Amino acid sequence: MNRIAAPLLRIASSGALFLALAAAFFLLIGRHPLTLIAQIVDASVGSGYALSESLVRATPILLCALATAVPARAGLVSVGAEGQLYFGALVGTGFVLAQLQASTLLPGMLIAGMVGGALWAALPALLRIGLAVNETISTLLLNYVASLLVVWVVFGPWKNPASQGWPATAEFPPPALPPTWFDSRIHLGLWLGIAAAIGLHLVLTRTRWGLALDVIRGNPRVARLAGLDARRWMLATMLVGGSLAGLAGILETASIQGRLQANLSAGAGFSGFLVAWLAGNDCLRIIPLAFLVGALLAAGDGIQMLADVPSSVTLVAQGLLFVAVLFVDGWRRTRGIGTRP
Amino acid sequence: MRLPRLFTAALLAATVLGTGAPASAQTIGYIYVGPEKDYGYNTSHDLGRQHVEKTVKGTKTLHVENIPETAEVTKVMERMIKSGATIVFATSYGYLDYAIELGKKYPKVAFMHAGGLKLGDNVGTYWANSDDAIYLAGMAAGAVTKSGKLGFIAAFPIPQVIRSINAFTLGAQSVNPKVTTTVVWTGGWLLPAKEAEASNALIDAGVDVIGEQVDSPITIAQTAEKRGIHVVGKDVDVSKFAPKAVLTGASWNWGPTMVKVVDEIKAGTWKPSHIRGDLKDGTVNLDPFGPAVTEPVRKRIIAKKAEILDGKFVVWSGPLIAQDGQELLAAGKPMSMDMLESMDFFVQGVVGTIQ
Amino acid sequence: MNAIDIVLGGFLISALRSATPLLFVLMGETLTQRTGIVNLGVEGQMLVGAMAGYAATAMSGNPWLGLAAGAGAGFALSWVHALLAVGVHANAFASGLAVWMLGFGLSAYYGSGLVGAKIDGFATIDAGAIATVPVIGSVVAGMTPTVAGALLLVPMASWWFWHTRTGLRWRAVGEAPAAARTAGVHPAWVQVQAIVLGGVLSGIGGAALSVDYTRTWAEGMSAGRGLVAVGLVIVARWNPWWTLPAALLFGGTEALSLRLQAAQVPVSAQLLHILPYVVSLAVLTIVCLRRRTGGTPAGLAAVFDR
Repeated sequence: MNRIAAPLLRIASSGALFLALAAAFFLLIGRHPLTLIAQIVDASVGSGYALSESLVRATPILLCALATAVPARAGLVSVGAEGQLYFGALVGTGFVLAQLQASTLLPGMLIAGMVGGALWAALPALLRIGLAVNETISTLLLNYVASLLVVWVVFGPWKNPASQGWPATAEFPPPALPPTWFDSRIHLGLWLGIAAAIGLHLVLTRTRWGLALDVIRGNPRVARLAGLDARRWMLATMLVGGSLAGLAGILETASIQGRLQANLSAGAGFSGFLVAWLAGNDCLRIIPLAFLVGALLAAGDGIQMLADVPSSVTLVAQGLLFVAVLFVDGWRRTRGIGTRP
Repeated sequence: MRLPRLFTAALLAATVLGTGAPASAQTIGYIYVGPEKDYGYNTSHDLGRQHVEKTVKGTKTLHVENIPETAEVTKVMERMIKSGATIVFATSYGYLDYAIELGKKYPKVAFMHAGGLKLGDNVGTYWANSDDAIYLAGMAAGAVTKSGKLGFIAAFPIPQVIRSINAFTLGAQSVNPKVTTTVVWTGGWLLPAKEAEASNALIDAGVDVIGEQVDSPITIAQTAEKRGIHVVGKDVDVSKFAPKAVLTGASWNWGPTMVKVVDEIKAGTWKPSHIRGDLKDGTVNLDPFGPAVTEPVRKRIIAKKAEILDGKFVVWSGPLIAQDGQELLAAGKPMSMDMLESMDFFVQGVVGTIQ
Repeated sequence: MNAIDIVLGGFLISALRSATPLLFVLMGETLTQRTGIVNLGVEGQMLVGAMAGYAATAMSGNPWLGLAAGAGAGFALSWVHALLAVGVHANAFASGLAVWMLGFGLSAYYGSGLVGAKIDGFATIDAGAIATVPVIGSVVAGMTPTVAGALLLVPMASWWFWHTRTGLRWRAVGEAPAAARTAGVHPAWVQVQAIVLGGVLSGIGGAALSVDYTRTWAEGMSAGRGLVAVGLVIVARWNPWWTLPAALLFGGTEALSLRLQAAQVPVSAQLLHILPYVVSLAVLTIVCLRRRTGGTPAGLAAVFDR
C-alpha cells in the first residue's frame, strides 16, 4: 500500500506546489494562470507533433541525466555531461569526416561519440583519483573547454568550404544518419536512452556491482575492508556516464543537426544534472522526469507564439518546477516521510 | 492525445474570448536568434515586424526570440506554420538550410531568410548591404583618427562581419591610406563584459576609433565615450549613449522591404529571389554625424554618398588587395555576389586572423 | 605616460576591472562555503543583481543606489537556496542550479524593459598625488569605486573572518558543526546567514558588472562568471585573503585573451577564448597537487570531497 501511495502523494504534492508557484508568477506578470498553463500543456503534449517534439527534446536530457546519476552512485557530483556531450559530438564527427569505414559508418560513429564522451569524463575522474581535484569544479570548467573546442573546429580546421562562410562542418552523409520514427524527429537516442535507463537500473539494483557502489558511497571504510577499490569504481562510473553523454552529443549532431556546429546542446547537460538529482539518481525515475523537463522546454517557443510571452517565462517555470520538487522531497525527508535507502 | 487537447480546448474556451484574428488574415511568423529587445540586430528586425503589422492591413504576426541557429529552428518554423503562419521571416543567417529543407515539406508557405546565397521553390532571401554606409562611416573614422590605428570588435568571423571590417577599412584608407584596423573577436554576440574589455584593450594599444559588429553597440559606444575616443555604430543609432564619441554609423530599416515582400506574396506575384536592400532604397541609413566630424569631412562623405547612389562609385570593385598583399580583384573589376557573400579574407591594412 | 605604464599599468587595471565583479561573488561564495554550504545559484543571484542594479540606477540616476538594489536582489533570491539547502536539506548542487535558472529567467523577464535605457555609471576615483607614481599611478587613476571597493573588501572580510568572534563561529560551523552546537551556536542559522551574505555580495558583483563595468543590461550578461567563482573558491583554498589572486587569475587571463588580439599577436581567437578556463583548471590542479586536501572545511568536505 505504502509503496504505491507514497510516491503518488509525493508526485501530487510536488505538482501542486509547482502549479501554485507557477500560477503566482503568471498572475504577477499579468497573465491568466489557467490560460497560460493550458497553453503550455497544449504546446507540449497537445498534438502528436507537439508530443514528438517533447520526446526529441527529452532525449539528450535523459542521456545526460544518466551520465550524472551513474557517477553519483559512486559518490561523485559531476556537472560535466554538457562538456562530455560536446566532446562526444566532436570525436564522433571526426570519425564521420575521416570516413574510415563506409559500411560501418553509423555504429562506428556512435562508438566514437561514446569514446569521446568517456575521454572527457576520464580527465576529471583521473584528476579526482590521483590528485584529489574536486570533480564538480573540474567538470564545470571542462564544459566550457569542450564547447569552445567545438567552436574552434567549426570556425577553423573543420569548416565546410562549401558552406559559404557559415561555421559548420560538412553535412553528414546519409549512411551516418541514425534512423527516425513516426514521421517525426524522434530518433534512435530515445530508445537507447530508455534502454540504458532500464539496463542501468537493473545493474544497479540487482547485481553485486550496484551493491559495491552502495557500499563505496555509503561507507568508504567498510568498502576498503571489503577489498573494494573506490578509485577504480569512480573511474568506471565516470566512463559509463561520459559515454552516455557522448552518445547524446553525437546523436544530436547526426540526427537533429545533420552536421557539427557551434550550438548544439541547448543546455541538455545542465537540465540532465537537475533531472538526475531530482530523481534521487534513480535511473527509472529519471525517465518520466526527463520527459517532463523536455516537454516544458519544448513548449517554450509554442507559448512565446501563442501567449506572446518572452522566452524567459519558460526558464522561470523550469526553475519553479525544480524548486517545488526539491522542496517537497526535502521536506518529506526531514520529516522522515518516505525515506529511501 | 485526445484528453489533453480536450482539456486545453475547454480551458482556452473558458478563458479567452474572441481574440482570434479574422480567418482571411495573413499570419506572419518572425524568428529571432537573440533577445527581441537587444537594442541591436534583433530589435531592428522586430521594428520591421511592427512596421509590417501596422502597414499591411489584416496581418497578424507571431514572434519568437532566442532561437539558436540549429535544427531547433525547424521545430519553431513548423509550429508557426501549424499555428497558421503562411509567411515566415527567419531573421538570422544560420537558419537558411533549415528553411530550405522545411520549405520542401510546406510548399504553400513562403519563407524569407536573412542573407545567404541559396534559394528554394518557396524560399527567398533578403539582406541589406550595409557595406556602403560602413564604408562612408569608415571615411569619418579615417579622417578623425590621430594615431592612424583603428579597431574593430566583432563576435564571430562570418562573411557578413568580415565584409563590414573590410568596408570600414577601405573607407578609412580612402581618406588616410596609412590606417590599419586591428580586429578583436569576442566569441559571442552578446557579451557586454568582454566587449568593454576589448574596447579598453584596443584603446590602451593606441586605437582611437572603434568600429563594431556585435549584437548591440551600447557597451562599446559607452566605453569609447568614457575613454574619450570615437566609435562607429551599427544596426541602431547609439548617439544617445555616446553623444561625443559617435562619429556616425550604419543603421537598418527593414520595414519597407518586408512590407514590399508581404504585399507581393499576398498579390501572388512573389518569386523567390535574393532581395538586397541598400543605402539607395533606404533599408540602410547613414546615421547623423557626431560633433567630432568636421564640416569638410562631412562634405567629402556626402559627396561620396552621392557617387554611390548614382552608381559612379562601387565599394566592392578592384583594385582590391588582400591582407598578405595578393591581388584579389584587378582594377575596375566588380566583385561577384558569390565572392561578396561568402567573403573569407581580409583586405590589406586589417590586422587579425579569421581562423 | 610612458610605454611601460601603458602596457603594464593598462594590463593591471584591465585585469582588476575584469576581476572586480568576480571578486565580490567569489568572496561571498568563499564565506558561504566556509560554513559548509555550496551555492551554484550565485550565477542567478549575479543576474538579478545586475538587472535590479541597472533598473535602480536608470530610475534614480544614482549608481550607489544601483549597487544597493543589486545587493537587495541578490539577498532576496538567495533565500530560495537557504530555504532549500538548509531549510529542508535538499541537495545543494541541484538547489543552486534551480536558483540559477530562476535568476536567469526572472532577470531576463524584468530586464527586457531596461534594454536601451541609459545610465551614467561611476566616474573613476580621484587618485590625487598617487597618479604621478609610475605604473601604480595609472592603475589607481583607472579605478572606479567598485574596483576600489572590491580591493578593500578583501582585507576587511578577511580580518572579520579570522579575527572576530562571529568569524570564529562561522568557521566552527564549517569545521565542526557538532562542537559548534554544543558551544551554543545554531549551525543552520549561521549557514542561512552565510548564504544570504553570499547573496548580497553576488548581487553587488552583478550590479558592478551592469552599472559600472559595462553600463549595459543584457540578459545572461554574467556569462558563467558566477559558476566560475564557485570553482575559484577551491583555488583560493577557502581563504578570504586568497580570493584576490584567484579572481585576478581568471580576470587577468580573460583580459589577456583580448589584449593579445589587440596587441596584434597572430593566435587563433577561438583558442584564446578557451584560455581562462584552461588556466583556471591548471592552477586548480597545481593547488591540489601541492596541498592535497588542506584548507577544506571539514563540514564541507562531507559534501564536497567525501
